[in-house]
Amino acid sequence: MTLLELRDVAKTFGDTIALSPTSLAIEEGSFVAIVGPSGCGKSTMFNVIAGLLTPDGGDVLVKGERVNGTTGHVGYMLQKDLLVPWRTVEDNITMAKRLTGRVSAADREEARAVARQYGLGDFLRHYPTALSGGMRQRVAFMRTLVTHQTLLLLDEPFGALDAQTRLEMQQWLLQVWRDTGRTVLFITHDVDESIFLSDRVIVMSPRPGRVVADFANPLPRPRTVDTLIEPAFIDLKTKVMRLLHREDA
Amino acid sequence: MTRKILRNVGVPILSFVLLLLVWQWIVVGFHVASYIAPRPRQAFLAVTQNWSALWPLILGTIRETVYGFFVGAALGLSLGVIMAKVPVLQRIVYPVLVLSQAVPIIALAAPLVLILGFSVTPKVVIVAWIVFFPVTVNVLDGLTHVDKDLLNLARVYGASRWRTFIHIEIPATATPLFSGLKIGATYAVTGAIIGELAASDGASLALYQEHANANLNTAAVYGTTMVMTAIGITWFLLVVGVEVFATPWQRRTVARRWRRR
Ligand SMILES: Nc1ncnc2c1ncn2[C@@H]1O[C@H](COP(=O)(O)OP(=O)(O)O)[C@@H](O)[C@H]1O
Ligand SMILES: [Mg+2]
Repeated sequence: MTLLELRDVAKTFGDTIALSPTSLAIEEGSFVAIVGPSGCGKSTMFNVIAGLLTPDGGDVLVKGERVNGTTGHVGYMLQKDLLVPWRTVEDNITMAKRLTGRVSAADREEARAVARQYGLGDFLRHYPTALSGGMRQRVAFMRTLVTHQTLLLLDEPFGALDAQTRLEMQQWLLQVWRDTGRTVLFITHDVDESIFLSDRVIVMSPRPGRVVADFANPLPRPRTVDTLIEPAFIDLKTKVMRLLHREDA
Repeated sequence: MTRKILRNVGVPILSFVLLLLVWQWIVVGFHVASYIAPRPRQAFLAVTQNWSALWPLILGTIRETVYGFFVGAALGLSLGVIMAKVPVLQRIVYPVLVLSQAVPIIALAAPLVLILGFSVTPKVVIVAWIVFFPVTVNVLDGLTHVDKDLLNLARVYGASRWRTFIHIEIPATATPLFSGLKIGATYAVTGAIIGELAASDGASLALYQEHANANLNTAAVYGTTMVMTAIGITWFLLVVGVEVFATPWQRRTVARRWRRR
């Protein structure tokens, strides 16, 4: 089933065409990576899907329903974890509920259960300042998970982490994704990351921002560190890199 | 824990004792005449021996300071919020607020007496006049610098403006708010004393000091200054105490068990 559909969605800021008319369909339960150089309109596309920006043209449809310029239908996470320092880990995880209604005992129990399941059970009463970058991103992701949105938009969530932590987080994310069956749209400028994680790699190019390729990812799951040296991985990486470099030249 | 208490309480007490020692040393060492400066002990005695006369005056000054502080803090917070939320008002009101602080506070007292008489009100107004400004400036600054991405995240969740304000913007402004309150707290007593000087017909701490001065009772003059300072410091410390209690995340890594919500 198609969960998200973009029909000729476009966005312009003044003279800058941030996103030229783009069409896209995302299957429910899939993991789709979007790669492209900085400034090619990836974040703009997410902001339009999330409803933070209203598209200049075209339609955004979630489960067939037009949602242009309205919010409340996606989970959303950025490179910045945006944890609030005045709340504990548990209270940060339940933030969405606090902002939209009452945080019930069941909500708190769910937050605690998710944190325990994914390795943060000992930090529920900690304030975020006490946590490492990787742990903070995990809390931010759990906060996104408990919104119960089926569609998750992750905008370079691991962009600020060191290589080792990033690899751990990628495997962790795949585990959570497998457990929860959400639909993930994942922006990155790291080609390896896009292929390692996804079912599908969408390549964008700048000025004007647009989709230039859409590759099905043939790599089997589960993925391990060995995936990174498989011929199919190298093959897909080569194709993506060629596209990105052609745009550079 | 004990080390922390030692550092937070012991060191200030030590510097206070040091100050008294320097005072004593200057007065004795330079043979300062007692009508110019008393020894610390004489100043203390001038306070304790006249305690029954002083205490009601001290209560009066405390009342003016505290009332004025709360009025000023409430006004400052409201103005900060309103200006942050309505940019047009900010452009209109901000220059007026700056102007209000350019008026010499002493020059403000005379018209206030004409308008409000000799009651407690003109003193409260002067204190509030001094206190609200740092609060407004800090709150406005805090509110306008809340992370835009965080506000966007709240929007993505579908949060209302009111809930975003309560759960994101206000707590994000806690640190600058308390900075403003602490600045206000240190100046609050000064405002009360200026008010007493200009707008007292009867008894007040400021007039008590004037009388002591007129009677060449130097020890009482210094003693009264010490009392006024003590009121200011106590009020400042109380505000700091409230801040410590209200913002546990500033110095703790783990929340207390009873903190829930
Ligand atoms: N709010 C905005 N106002 C003006 N220009 C913007 C705004 N947001 C993005 N842009 C411009 O749109 C283009 C695409 O930006 P963005 O979507 O952030 O790219 P990416 O996320 O791929 O790095 C850039 O040229 C950027 O400068
Ligand atoms: Mg971006």
